[in-house]
Amino acid sequence: MYRIRFHGRGGQGMKTASRILGTAFFLEGYEVQDAPRYGAERRGAPIFAYVRADSKPINERGIILNPDLVIVADDSLVPVPAAGVMAGITAHTLLLINSNEEESEWRHRLNLECPVLILSLKEEVSERAELPYIGATCTGASARLTGVISNRALEQAIREELSELGTTVIEKNLENALAAYESMADNEGAITEGGLASADSYALPGWIDLPFEDARTSAPAIYAPATSVEVKTGLWRTQRPIIDYDLCKKCWWICGSYCPDGAIEVEESLPIIDYDHCKGCLVCVAQCPSHAIEAIPEAQAQALEAETQEGEQK
Amino acid sequence: MSEKIEKMIRSTRDLPSTHLLGTGTPMCAGCGGLEALNGIYDILGEKTVFVNAAGCMTLLSVYPFTPFRGSWLYTAMASAPAGAQGIRDALDILLEQKRITTDDDLEVVVLTGDGAAYGMGLSATSGAMERNLDFIYVCYDNEGYGNTGQQYSGATPHAAKTATSRGFAGFRGYKKDLFSIWAAHNPAYVATVIGAEPLDLAKKIEKLRGMKGPRMIIALSPCPTGWDFDPRETVHIGQLALKSGIWPLKEYIDGKVTHTKVPRKRVPVEDYLSLQGRFRHLFEPTRNEKLLDEIQARVDSYWEKIEQDEAEK
Repeated sequence: MYRIRFHGRGGQGMKTASRILGTAFFLEGYEVQDAPRYGAERRGAPIFAYVRADSKPINERGIILNPDLVIVADDSLVPVPAAGVMAGITAHTLLLINSNEEESEWRHRLNLECPVLILSLKEEVSERAELPYIGATCTGASARLTGVISNRALEQAIREELSELGTTVIEKNLENALAAYESMADNEGAITEGGLASADSYALPGWIDLPFEDARTSAPAIYAPATSVEVKTGLWRTQRPIIDYDLCKKCWWICGSYCPDGAIEVEESLPIIDYDHCKGCLVCVAQCPSHAIEAIPEAQAQALEAETQEGEQK
Repeated sequence: MSEKIEKMIRSTRDLPSTHLLGTGTPMCAGCGGLEALNGIYDILGEKTVFVNAAGCMTLLSVYPFTPFRGSWLYTAMASAPAGAQGIRDALDILLEQKRITTDDDLEVVVLTGDGAAYGMGLSATSGAMERNLDFIYVCYDNEGYGNTGQQYSGATPHAAKTATSRGFAGFRGYKKDLFSIWAAHNPAYVATVIGAEPLDLAKKIEKLRGMKGPRMIIALSPCPTGWDFDPRETVHIGQLALKSGIWPLKEYIDGKVTHTKVPRKRVPVEDYLSLQGRFRHLFEPTRNEKLLDEIQARVDSYWEKIEQDEAEK
């Protein structure tokens, strides 16, 4: 059975990518499951979607724990624990990462035994949550890696799944998917089907047994105020707003009042961005009348931060 | 915060510098509804019970996380005002029996999206106003069933593309005039607001805080996900909704409607429409002049009537 997992951010089209790949498998005569998995999170938040395909009926259910292929549309998700990119990766798994870094770099960083393939971003795009056609690119590449999906099945799957989006969108997606399909020619059939898992080998999750209680006790009630601050929605951010305090006119209210998330506090007339919670919508950048707030890619901001910290330590 | 805002809000300088609502909510980046709710909550404060009908904002409080500092209760989509009635009654009984003091009393606030407010919750809302329930109703209006993928609702504007209105002309119906439907019940207060105009919003919330009876608020909520625009444009699009005259800021008290901000020189509606993917079919591949003219004419005729009424005064 093929077990394939797509990781991306909400908005990058991973749900559609898994659907297209699932349909392509189906057109090749496979039994298929495909499903997206996300919670209440929105655009920019880590999500994943998965596909199972087998020539026999599939009895396995739930998320994929032992993937044959893991596709990462956005390499900034790899270090995010909540994204679960590395979950269940073994020497058997193939890891396909959309990245500007080398394969050896990823292997070194992640201490991996498994093969790694790189889908290189052609150019740095300003809005990561909308990497254009990355979904199509991931689907095309993964279809070739299976070695059992023809480009005709891929094309038909794209036309079927995107039929509501109009010819222009379909053609663009096709172009990207087929280019990615071609780019993986040397690796055709690089992934192999994993064996069937036996129910005996299934490790029970670390469940905790809770006694059954009366509804007055067990109904979910929250007794502390504003517990949502524990949720670090800053992880959603792909662009970081940075205030240049030399340009800030200390107008007091514009960025702080317009921030939809209440993530800008003003202390003594100086706005301070709460990066643990800023989702990177960039309303503040668009609204600041003195253009004192600039957006830079989050990855770049983190690299700068690391450098500064290193400098301080020295 | 609510305790600190004792002085009247007169200028933007009086707007709170920190927010009361907790961060870390699962609303989309650039959510216009959350922006409005932040402004509203800053003034209503923690002595509130929010009664939240199913919708995007039910996700604000998913156990064990909540951004609220006071109470919150979840109801089915159509029944938030009925839930509010129950809470108000319970509080009144506790007050009457002197089990709580007036200092412990809470303001009951219904929070729903436009799906509930304009559609399936309208009957319960009408009943609550009929019974003169002492409550506040906040509708965040993103003009569609946003939480489930933007299907059309009673608030969807003419010609907008939604998940269920995909033709070349978009949604064939017209946005319901909920302000007038509510005002026809003669409640204590009805107002339209928008997060992009925080001062007007703050003044209105401050005003209704001192009142009793049904107090109704509709906040137009630019929605990057459902309306298809870059999240950074949320405030800009809100400002254009005002400047184009598409979203009139007004209030209703004692049988009278007053416009609180009249756009003297209106920008063309297409300035507002063209920034949103849900109206892209009006511009590409060819301009749909007929529909654009129709939308412009409706806005023009609305304001002509307002200007006439003003001139007659």
